[in-house]
Amino acid sequence: MTTKQDTHADGLPYKEPSGVEKFQETLREYGVTRTVTYGLLGVFLVWTLFPVYWLVTATLKTRQTLLSFPPQWIPLDAQFGNFAQLFAQRPDFVQFIINSTVVTITTTVLATTIGAMAAYAFVTFDYPYNLDFHLPFYILSTRFMPPIVTIIPLFVIFRGVGLVNSLQGLILVYTMFNIPFAVWMMKGFFEEVPDSLIESAMIDGHTHLGAFFKIVLPLVKPGLIASAIFTTIITWNELLFAVILALNADAMTVPVGLASFVTKFSVQWINMSVGATIALVPVLLFAFVARQQLVRGFSMGAVGK
Amino acid sequence: MATETDQATAEISSFQTDTSTRESVLLWVDDHLKWLMTLPAVFILFALTFYPLVRAIQMSTQQFLPTGTTFVGVQNYVDLASNDAFLNSLAVTGKFIGIAVGVEFLLGFGIALLLNKKIKLRGLWQTLILIPMILSPTVIGLIWRLLYAPNGLLDYIVAPLTGGANVGWISETSVALYSVILTDIWQWTPLVVLVLFAGLQSVPDDVREAAIMDGASVRQRFLHITLPYLKSLIVLVLIIRLVDALRVFAKVFILTRGGPASATNVISMQMYRTAFRFNNFGEASAMAVSLLVLVMILAMSFVKIANVEFGS
Repeated sequence: MTTKQDTHADGLPYKEPSGVEKFQETLREYGVTRTVTYGLLGVFLVWTLFPVYWLVTATLKTRQTLLSFPPQWIPLDAQFGNFAQLFAQRPDFVQFIINSTVVTITTTVLATTIGAMAAYAFVTFDYPYNLDFHLPFYILSTRFMPPIVTIIPLFVIFRGVGLVNSLQGLILVYTMFNIPFAVWMMKGFFEEVPDSLIESAMIDGHTHLGAFFKIVLPLVKPGLIASAIFTTIITWNELLFAVILALNADAMTVPVGLASFVTKFSVQWINMSVGATIALVPVLLFAFVARQQLVRGFSMGAVGK
Repeated sequence: MATETDQATAEISSFQTDTSTRESVLLWVDDHLKWLMTLPAVFILFALTFYPLVRAIQMSTQQFLPTGTTFVGVQNYVDLASNDAFLNSLAVTGKFIGIAVGVEFLLGFGIALLLNKKIKLRGLWQTLILIPMILSPTVIGLIWRLLYAPNGLLDYIVAPLTGGANVGWISETSVALYSVILTDIWQWTPLVVLVLFAGLQSVPDDVREAAIMDGASVRQRFLHITLPYLKSLIVLVLIIRLVDALRVFAKVFILTRGGPASATNVISMQMYRTAFRFNNFGEASAMAVSLLVLVMILAMSFVKIANVEFGS
């Protein structure tokens, strides 16, 4: 509880306060609103973080202490052997991690490059029929299409050309999936780059393409990093396309592997917790590195500016 | 001597030819740069979204038999109208969206307002509440499987109310959908908080101060200053959540697989089952096309309503 200070906003013309305002005034005098505000924000923070804590600590418990009454709030007798046990019982999990890594890195490079090129062209060039306005809009609109709508024909098409159960097929789909965001993210950044810079680079003997790679791209590095991180997280996490297009163990990604730990009838509790924690760690690391861009991206870029 | 010179000349001329080919290629590239740079993005999106969409419409008029496909016209759509599982999945999805997005919006708005006061460590707080949004829906499903497990944490928390009996959070038909909704609220309320908080921050201080000077009450200031400033962001965040909630899949897949019975059988789950469990690609495509039309109508009417309500 704080003592009363800043209770009255000074220098304001007097006006009969309403009932609500009188009540708020009283609360403020006793330092209550401040406490309540912090209290509520604190409760929300605990509600948001505790489930994650619960999963991560589950990796150190035994099957018995995991679901016990009363619950074990802190894992006292840490079972580090659980990690080794996952890989002993499910050696295929290593393959899932490799698959996910290959798919994620390739997709990130492709989607960011292709998206950045398109965004730059839309910002820089004039197109006939107002295409520099219509095409980005078409690109953005694909983001709103429910993926389940395209997944059924895509499965049939991919089966026809042998892309089902292959990493290439997944990479192709994920690249498509991430281009819209990359284009819209990068457009904003390219708009900030002055035209004169490219012109002077071309006078210095660069080709336009050369100027793009050597002069412009380094300038928009923050944007490239932000869209790369978003693409990485989205791709690493994705389940729907993977569960339909990659059911073969050779092409399975981590989310599909994790889903197989949980069936209608039984759950491999410890393996599931360990696997989910392994899937979660890279995402948290990336998010920590890029926390600034993430807050901005989620409040602005991710929602289409 | 002569041969050496010849060789040198030949080398020079071949080098020059190389350069000029290379140069002409680069020149050609530069001349067509505006098409070359956009081609990959447009081609991939066209091939993997527009073409499948056309195929979906075509497939929705076909019946898939082990021997091949036959054209059946609008029969698949007619069948949908009397397909109880499909109609039920529409109702389940509607309930899911209505409750989840409604609670997320109100709760998120309230918290954004709290956050808009002078708060210490606000940046850290914002970063921490991002976590559910960046987690894989698969991992989220597994986290909540753990919390909803019989004798799990949530059963323990509500034990004083239930007398220690297990609730059956995801196994009890009357409860399961609410449990899935709770998980969605947990994941997405932070998005509403972040977007609306960004909007609140954009209300200029001098406008608010001028209103206070003019004697506007808290309620008046909220209705006539804060809300108009937030209008477009409110519409945006509701559309985003609406469209995203309409395609919820992974959480349901991990938590309940659409069950028990069909209590949590949302529309994407129903389509997944129809296509990949029962190999009924024709009817699943008809569902997909109907869903797309629904999304478009919803999004467009929403924007229209928002414009009429608040004026553009």
